Amino acid sequence: MAEALSFAGVGFSYPGAEDPALRGATFSLPEGAFALVAGPTGAGKSTLLRCCNGLVPHFTGGRFEGRVRIGGRDTLEHRPRTLATTVGFVPQDPGASFVLDRVEDELAYAMENLGVPRGAMRRRVEEVLDLMRIEPLRDRSVRQLSGGERQRVAIAAALTAGPRVLVLDEPTSQLDPQGAEDVLAALARLVHELGTTVLMAEHRLERVVGTVDLAVGCKAGEPPRLGPPAEILAWLGAGPPVARLGRILGWRPVPLTVREARRAAGSLGRLPGPPPRPAAGLPAPGEPLLRAQGLHADHGRGSVLRGVDLELRRGEVVALMGRNGAGKTTLLRCLVGLHRPAAGRVAAASGRAPEPGRDAALCPQVPEHLLYRSRVVEEVAVTLRARGRDGAEAQALLEELGIGPLAPRHPREVSAGQRLLVAVAAVVATGAPVLLLDEPTRGLDPEVKGRLSELLRRFAARGGAVIVATHDVELAAALATRVVLLAGGEVIADGPPAEVLADSPVFSPEMTRVFGPGWLTPEQVARALGA
Amino acid sequence: MHQVALLSWAMAAGLAAALTTNPFYLAPLGAAALAVGSSLARDRGPLRSFALAAALAVALRTALALLGPVSRGSLAAAALEGARLAVVLLVVGAFNAASDPGALLRLAPGRWHELALAVSLALSIAPRTAEAAARVREAQRLRGLPTSGWRALPALAVPVLETGMEEAVTLAESMDARGHGSGPRTRYRPEPWGPRDALVALACAAGGAGFLAAELLGAGGIDAAGAGHVSLALLGALGLLTSPLWPWPRR
Repeated sequence: MAEALSFAGVGFSYPGAEDPALRGATFSLPEGAFALVAGPTGAGKSTLLRCCNGLVPHFTGGRFEGRVRIGGRDTLEHRPRTLATTVGFVPQDPGASFVLDRVEDELAYAMENLGVPRGAMRRRVEEVLDLMRIEPLRDRSVRQLSGGERQRVAIAAALTAGPRVLVLDEPTSQLDPQGAEDVLAALARLVHELGTTVLMAEHRLERVVGTVDLAVGCKAGEPPRLGPPAEILAWLGAGPPVARLGRILGWRPVPLTVREARRAAGSLGRLPGPPPRPAAGLPAPGEPLLRAQGLHADHGRGSVLRGVDLELRRGEVVALMGRNGAGKTTLLRCLVGLHRPAAGRVAAASGRAPEPGRDAALCPQVPEHLLYRSRVVEEVAVTLRARGRDGAEAQALLEELGIGPLAPRHPREVSAGQRLLVAVAAVVATGAPVLLLDEPTRGLDPEVKGRLSELLRRFAARGGAVIVATHDVELAAALATRVVLLAGGEVIADGPPAEVLADSPVFSPEMTRVFGPGWLTPEQVARALGA
Repeated sequence: MHQVALLSWAMAAGLAAALTTNPFYLAPLGAAALAVGSSLARDRGPLRSFALAAALAVALRTALALLGPVSRGSLAAAALEGARLAVVLLVVGAFNAASDPGALLRLAPGRWHELALAVSLALSIAPRTAEAAARVREAQRLRGLPTSGWRALPALAVPVLETGMEEAVTLAESMDARGHGSGPRTRYRPEPWGPRDALVALACAAGGAGFLAAELLGAGGIDAAGAGHVSLALLGALGLLTSPLWPWPRR
C-alpha cells in the first residue's frame, strides 16, 4: 500500500530550548491507517503531530532536521496553508480554533480560502455534515455547542478541504464518555468509508486502543517508534487497565480490550471472595465539612440544579460524574460559595454559608489561570502569605504533597500535567479543609493521574475532604471513596464506587466489565489472586 | 438585511444623534434604534447592555451637572447631552445586536481581507478574553489574593495574557492549517443585495445628509437652544432613518 505520511530522521528543538522536543523520528504510515500517538505529556506528541502539516517548523521557528513527507509533498517545501488540501489538523482545544460564528460557515471556511467553486462547496458541506452527523447543528453558533458537538464540528471543518490525512491532538480529552464515543465512531467511519488516514494523540488509552490498528510511541529523549498497539504500549509500559492487569499476571499476549481480557480471564475461574474495599489507608469518614440541602441553582436561562442534597465528610474523596452540562461545575461553584443558589442552602462545618476560599478551595479547570510567578515554590508561598501564614512553609507543603522536586522550576516550563499538580498545591495552601477540582483534563496522563491520586489521598488523610469532577471512569475507580452521579441537575446515584460504577455500562471501569461488580482496579484484582 | 444596508443605517443614525441635542429629535431616534435593534437582532445581549449603558449615561451626565453651580438651564443642558450620548449608544448597540461579524468579514474586498479578518477576530476573541479574565479573577480571589488595585495586576494580567497568547497562536495555526491566505478566495454564502437593501441605504444616506445640512446651516432647531422649534424637513429625515423597519413584501 502507498504511504500517506513518512518521517525520515526528523529532529526538532524549539527556539531557545536546550533539549530537542523530537529526535530521530523515522517511520511511515500506510494509507488508510488508524494510528494512535501515545506517551506521557512532554514526550513530544504535540510536536510530532504539528510536524505533519508543517506547523513545525514554519510556525514555530527552531532547529529542524530530516524530512517529513505527507501525500508525497515535503513539509519544508510547502507551507501549512498549501498543505491544507492534503492534511487536516484539529488542535487540542477546538473552541479556540473557530474563526466564524455559524457552524455551516465554519465548515466552508477552508474551502473559501482555497478558492473552491460555490457549487462544489455546497455539495461538500452537505456530505461532511452527514458524515459527522451534525446536520441539525448547521445554523447554530459554534459558541453554543456542547463539548462533543464542538469537537465533531472542528473535525468537520478540517475535513471539508478534502484531506487524505487527518491529524488530531487529544480529541476526546474534554468529553464525557458518550461524547467521546460519538467522536471516535465518527473517526472510525472516516477510516472505513473514505479510507482517510487518521493519526491522533490520546491519553485515555482504554477509549481508543480497541479501534486503532497502529501506534506511534513517544518517550522523552528517545526516537518515536511505530508498531502494533500492543507492542508499542508494552515498550511505553503504558496501557489501559486490562493491559496493566495482564502484565502483573504475566498474560501472553497482554490484552488491550475488555473482550481480550475476558477471554484471558476465562482460565482463572471465579475470583476468590467478594472484592475488598479499595482505597484502604484512608480513615473512616469523620464529621461533615460541607452540607448542601435542597440546592436549586440557575445559570443563564435555565435551572441547572434541581434539589441536590450532598454531604461531604472529613477523609472522603468524592468523584462527581455526569455528562457535559449535567450541572457539575455549577454544583462545585455553589459549594465553594461563588454561586448563590436560587433555593436551598450550603453550610460549612461552622454551620454558616461557606466563605469562598476559606471553607472550601477550588482548583480551576484551566490550571494556567492561577499561575503567574516565576518559580513553583513562589506560587505556593504567595497563597500562604495571602492567608497570613509563613511563606517559608511552601517547600514543606510541596514535599508533603509529593512534588517537592518541582519547587525551583518555572510553572510555565513544566509539563501540562505537572502544572496541574502545581495549581492544586497553590490552592491547597489556602488551608481550606475542602478541596474541589473541576475536571482536570489537560495533560492527565497515567503518570500524572497517579501523582494526582496520591496527592489528593494525602490531603484527605490529613483530615481534609476532596470532590473531583471528572469524566474519567478509571480515575474515579482508582481514587474515589464515593461516587456521586449527576444527571439533569439531580443526584441520581450516591454511594461507594463499587456500587455506583457497576450500574451503568457507560460509567463502568474495565475491571468491572471483565470480572463483575465490585472489581475496580487491576491492583485490587491482582491482590485477590495473590499475585 | 444586507450588512452594508445595516452599516449605512448605523452610520446615518449615529451621525444624526451625534449632531442634535433637541429632545424632539433624540426621542424618536432612540425609539427607532431600539426598534431596529430588537426587530433585527441575532442576539439581544448587546442591545440590553447598551440600553443599560445609555440609561447610565443620562443619569451620570445629569449628576455631574449637580456638582457645579446649578441652574434649571444647566441641568437641562446636561441631561440633553447625556441623552445624545445615550442615543448614540443605542444605535451602536442595535448595530452590534443585528450585525454578523462573519458576514461583514466576507464582504471585505480581497485586498482588505487581512484587515477585516483582524477586526472580526478581535470581535470573537474579546468575549473569550473577558470570560478568561473573570475566571482568573475568581480563582485568585479564592486563593486570598487581592483582586483590585495596582498590586493585584500581575496576578490578574499575567494568566490572562499568557492564556490569551496561547489561544491566539492556536487560532492562527488553525487558520493557516485551513489554507488561509493560500490564494484567491471564493464565497460560500454571497449576501444577496436586493432592492430593499438599496432603498434602505439610499434612505439612510438622505436622512443622514439632512441632519448634516441642518447642522452646517444652523437650521431646523438642531441645537438644544432651539428646543421647541422643530422642522418638518428634519422630521422627514428622521422618518428616512426608520427605513430598516418599513414593511417590505416577501418574495
